[in-house]
Amino acid sequence: MSLDILLQHLANGISQGSLYALIAIGYTMVYGILRLINFAHGEIFMMATYFAFFGIATFGMPWYVVFILAILLTGLLGMSAERVAYRPLRDAPKISILISAIGVSYLIQNLAIVLFSGRPKAFPQIEFFTRMFTVGNVRIQALTIVIPIVTAVLLAVLIYLINHTKNGIAMRAVAKDHETAKLMGIDVNKTIALTFGIGSMLAAVGGIMWGLKFPNILPTMGIMPGLKCFIAAVLGGIGSISGAVIGGFILGLGEILLVAFFQNLTGYRDAFAFVLLILILLFKPTGIMGEKISEKV
Amino acid sequence: MKNKKNIYTLISIALVILFLLLANSFFDSYQIRILNLCAIYVVLGLSMNLINGFTGLFSLGHAGFMAVGAYTTAILTMPIAAKEANYFMTPLVSPLNNMVWPFLPALIMGGLLSAVAAFIIGAPALRLKGDYLAIATLGFGEIIRILITNAQSLTNGALGLKSIPNTTNIWWSFGIAAATTVIMILLINSSYGRAFKAIREDEIAAENMGINLFKHKMLAFVIGAFFAGIGGGLLGNLLGTVDPNMFKFTLTFNILFVIVLGGMGSITGTIISAFIVTISMEVLRFLDAPINLGFITIPGITGMRMVVYSLLLIIVIIYFRQGLMGTREFSWDSVIALIKKAPFKKGGAK
Amino acid sequence: MTLLKANKITMQFGGLTAVSDFDLEIKNGEIIALIGPNGAGKTTAFNMITGVYKPTKGSIYLNDSDITGFRPDQITKKGIARTFQNIRLFKDLSVLDNVLIANHLNIKSSILEAALKLPRYKREERKMYEKSMELLKKVGLADLRDEKSSSLPYGKQRRLEIARALATEPKLLLLDEPAAGMNPKETEDLTLFIKQIRDEFDLTIFMIEHHMQVVMGISDRIYVFDYGVTIAQGTPYEIQNNQKVIEAYLGVSEDA
Repeated sequence: MSLDILLQHLANGISQGSLYALIAIGYTMVYGILRLINFAHGEIFMMATYFAFFGIATFGMPWYVVFILAILLTGLLGMSAERVAYRPLRDAPKISILISAIGVSYLIQNLAIVLFSGRPKAFPQIEFFTRMFTVGNVRIQALTIVIPIVTAVLLAVLIYLINHTKNGIAMRAVAKDHETAKLMGIDVNKTIALTFGIGSMLAAVGGIMWGLKFPNILPTMGIMPGLKCFIAAVLGGIGSISGAVIGGFILGLGEILLVAFFQNLTGYRDAFAFVLLILILLFKPTGIMGEKISEKV
Repeated sequence: MKNKKNIYTLISIALVILFLLLANSFFDSYQIRILNLCAIYVVLGLSMNLINGFTGLFSLGHAGFMAVGAYTTAILTMPIAAKEANYFMTPLVSPLNNMVWPFLPALIMGGLLSAVAAFIIGAPALRLKGDYLAIATLGFGEIIRILITNAQSLTNGALGLKSIPNTTNIWWSFGIAAATTVIMILLINSSYGRAFKAIREDEIAAENMGINLFKHKMLAFVIGAFFAGIGGGLLGNLLGTVDPNMFKFTLTFNILFVIVLGGMGSITGTIISAFIVTISMEVLRFLDAPINLGFITIPGITGMRMVVYSLLLIIVIIYFRQGLMGTREFSWDSVIALIKKAPFKKGGAK
Repeated sequence: MTLLKANKITMQFGGLTAVSDFDLEIKNGEIIALIGPNGAGKTTAFNMITGVYKPTKGSIYLNDSDITGFRPDQITKKGIARTFQNIRLFKDLSVLDNVLIANHLNIKSSILEAALKLPRYKREERKMYEKSMELLKKVGLADLRDEKSSSLPYGKQRRLEIARALATEPKLLLLDEPAAGMNPKETEDLTLFIKQIRDEFDLTIFMIEHHMQVVMGISDRIYVFDYGVTIAQGTPYEIQNNQKVIEAYLGVSEDA
């Protein structure tokens, strides 16, 4: 393999990893605050892609307006899912909330099939993102560079929000202890809703860029990225935002390089994430950046 | 009193057999197929309830176990000519290509291999708890599917298998459903069953009472997988075709719905709900199909049925968390009490 | 004869040392109490002895055999049973089932024999049943055998938890705050009850307790924890007059 091709793969891996990271952050934030795997996160990501698709293809609005609208709508969707299906179960056994989350995931997916049909749609190609660059001997799509930049900027904003704003501090407090946070005058429900909103909006950015990168969009397109990004979050240490980013990169780079170096394993590309999950859970269940959570006896 | 109850039980069994006899001769093939599906869902629901409802392990790998059972049974029972026709791209490995087994041993083999798969999966996964276990088993289920898709010389890959002998009939499916039910009842009421329930109630207390958590979780997991494999085998040889797409997470979702609706931890609930869910799945098929009102045809909406289902699941889990039965079980005493309480309404318990 | 011996067991969680260098020796038939302010690491010490936590340092011997790092179920099989600070019964199960489950650890029949109700299993099941009923009679819960355990009044739940622990046939019984939440009358009953089971079942008892009435009334020796450190040990009389203990409980006065 020549150096150029290796660089090409690396660039692809980094941009794939950035996408995974964006979606993984949503999982890790929700898990941090509710100890819940939001099974519906992959479907929320999928809906963002459709929102953007309809905005551009059906309503013919300019892409930057559409992107903002799609991100806001997706945030709203995430918050409604929490309001309707998770909040009533706040004191229920964990297994019930998990089942409810699976229900929401299925509901959104099948609603998408009903509303948008199960046939694939072609996400519009936007010149700004699709044109090709040549750096040395490596040809790269603008998108491959845009994705990591967007991810980095959003990450910086998010970390600022969490560490330096009132709402961010409330989020961290609620993640530590709901009861105490409530006693300190924090509106727990509002904070949780906000967490869902932010997580969903980040997933929306991921979804839109996913649509630009892989223009074949389907109502079932959220399942695999959803599972994989949860794995990325576990890999990095669930509850930790930097962990989710690291996990996303490991997964993205790992997948691309696996297929690049061992072409006969292409059919097993999707299994890579799961094997990684099992390994991390066996050897370091708390993930790379995670802290140990032990049950009180 | 005990004698009386035994007589009631015998009469009920006789009635069920009579019903099946009548159904077998008067129902059309579509209705018989639905009845078969009901019985298969009883097997699948009970097997998942053992793991999730009685032992409290949140496992989502059921579709994977079913796939192992369905493929094993299909490959072992398929006539040689059908094998040659199916595997035209990559021939089936020897000696499987020249081997035809009778149905029952093939089914049991399917169950056993599925149990072996569960053992391999359980060794790492059962050290995990709660949602981690859920996602790991889900992942393993997917890995099984990916392996099946890629192992062409064994499974015919993505093409799947066609013209599997339609061996599953009412007697096979209901016979095995009945056997599974009896075994589950005996198991759940034994000392091991109590240990399973103890783990569900409080893992830490159970371990401190001397219960080896890993061993008992593994037992429940492997036995559950065994019956899931058998259920898968019955399903494959009922439908006559299997392919990797059949065993996606949707299948696990359906079984999960059966046990949530019936009550996690109730055998009676699972049986009732397996019938309700299977039949209503068929009844609700009209939602997906075009409706012809004679003068106007309303086009069908694909996916509507699953929308209704997922909504129902959410509603059940939010408002009726106990499902139909909670952890309660059927007993003649409760039926008699019910009839006495409401002399004009016959108790609807079965 | 020494039943349990702990050599400098230490438990660290990250940077926090919950228990440090705890030396413990319990002789057969003794009733030993572990006292100390809240958060002193008493339950952590219990958790190390019962295998819930693996000590960061140090070792634990039961009858001279090393049990450090064993799993809780292995330790229970070796003869240490416990109750919990916040009662941990199998809530949805009946009183009888709660006790029956604690008999499971000695089962010889395989799961296949159990599911098919083969003769050996039937014999074992009968024995478990008889043993459990006898235990329930002794603790006065036989009439309530079919009640859901969570429906019992608080005091009876405590008793049931002790009965359940006894069903594992322990040599050493660990009680984590058995008198918590009890009124004076109940506390008095409990004190008698503990003595009674000690004699009847030939037990050695190690308990965490805050009620000084119970502790001083029945303990042979007392260990005192403060911030994970053993600040005193001795007979009830010695402990009552120990300056360090008084300070730990009442605080040091400014002008002292």
